[in-house]
Amino acid sequence: MSGLDPFVHQLLSLGGLLLFASAALHKLRDPLSFRSAVAGYRLLPNALVGPVSRAIPWLELCTAAAFLIPSAAPRAAWLGVVLLVIYAVAIGANLARGRREIDCGCGLAGGARPLGVSLLLRNIVLIQGLLALLLPVAARPWSVIDTAALLPATGTLILLYAAIDVALANSARQREVF
Amino acid sequence: MEPLVISNLVLWVLVLGLAAVVLALLRQVGVLHERIAPAGALVGGELPTVGDEAPVLEVADWRGEVLRIGGPNAENIETLLFFVSPSCSVCKSVLPVVCSVRDAEKFRLVIASDGERDEHVAFVETHGLARERYVLSAALGLAYQVGRLPYAVLIGADGVVKARGLVNQREHVESLFEARDRGVASLHEYRAGREMTR
Repeated sequence: MSGLDPFVHQLLSLGGLLLFASAALHKLRDPLSFRSAVAGYRLLPNALVGPVSRAIPWLELCTAAAFLIPSAAPRAAWLGVVLLVIYAVAIGANLARGRREIDCGCGLAGGARPLGVSLLLRNIVLIQGLLALLLPVAARPWSVIDTAALLPATGTLILLYAAIDVALANSARQREVF
Repeated sequence: MEPLVISNLVLWVLVLGLAAVVLALLRQVGVLHERIAPAGALVGGELPTVGDEAPVLEVADWRGEVLRIGGPNAENIETLLFFVSPSCSVCKSVLPVVCSVRDAEKFRLVIASDGERDEHVAFVETHGLARERYVLSAALGLAYQVGRLPYAVLIGADGVVKARGLVNQREHVESLFEARDRGVASLHEYRAGREMTR
């Protein structure tokens, strides 16, 4: 048996779908603060800040939608990887410039979030999850227990991701306090 | 169903529950961080600002004793001006706090308000203010540009304003002495200074 197990493949696809959908909705709900976050990175000329900050949530939504179509999963994964690599480069460039205090524009838990190496690590882990989707899927019959386990496994993934997000927000807040 | 299948499903339920608990715990940690964040007296742009000479005023307290506020203190102790009003409910909750801080810090406490004397009789009685230096003087509030209550001004023994601000709770009152000890105008300034050096 070679390649990625279909269960893991399904789990990662669902995870990618939810990740990009929630990220996109989060940005679409508060476009102004995302715009100011993009401007805060100081990587784009002013004329491009508006169009780019409007385009990113829609690109994320496209990525999420592509995960819905099983045959499009590798393309969705590629799109996701490209987006995450761009974010990682933007974060890395500002960390290198010593501008940690800007809002990353990526927090789910609300409020501005400073940059940090932990964010970079989080992106690397996410990129690896998406790259795994490009592996060939192993041929094995899909059983009832796979179906039964897929939902709780996805739920656990979401909860843990949210927990890590809150933990990152907490540690940022702790640094801020004296 | 096979026992392994059942145990697998039960495990998933438990893992899901654990993840939910972890998330809830971390959120509570976040709330705690917010609660323990340093709270300081709120300072606006009022004059005289910290470091300025306090205006010298002579006012009579509730018992008719004349107090000199501002200028070097004869007994070489600090003065805390605490501005209140009988109609301000927060003032009533901060009043005992100020009195307890006074016992720890040893300063001259002057509680200041303004208005007609009869409006204050019940307030003075219920809070035992006749024992304190309770001053009714509109001039005092004007001299320190007090706009919101409860407000406190800490004047050093040398007659210089050491700290001032809106005080809503114990942490705010204590922050005045903290600001004095650290030689900064307020905790806001202290944190802003740290951010700039970072």
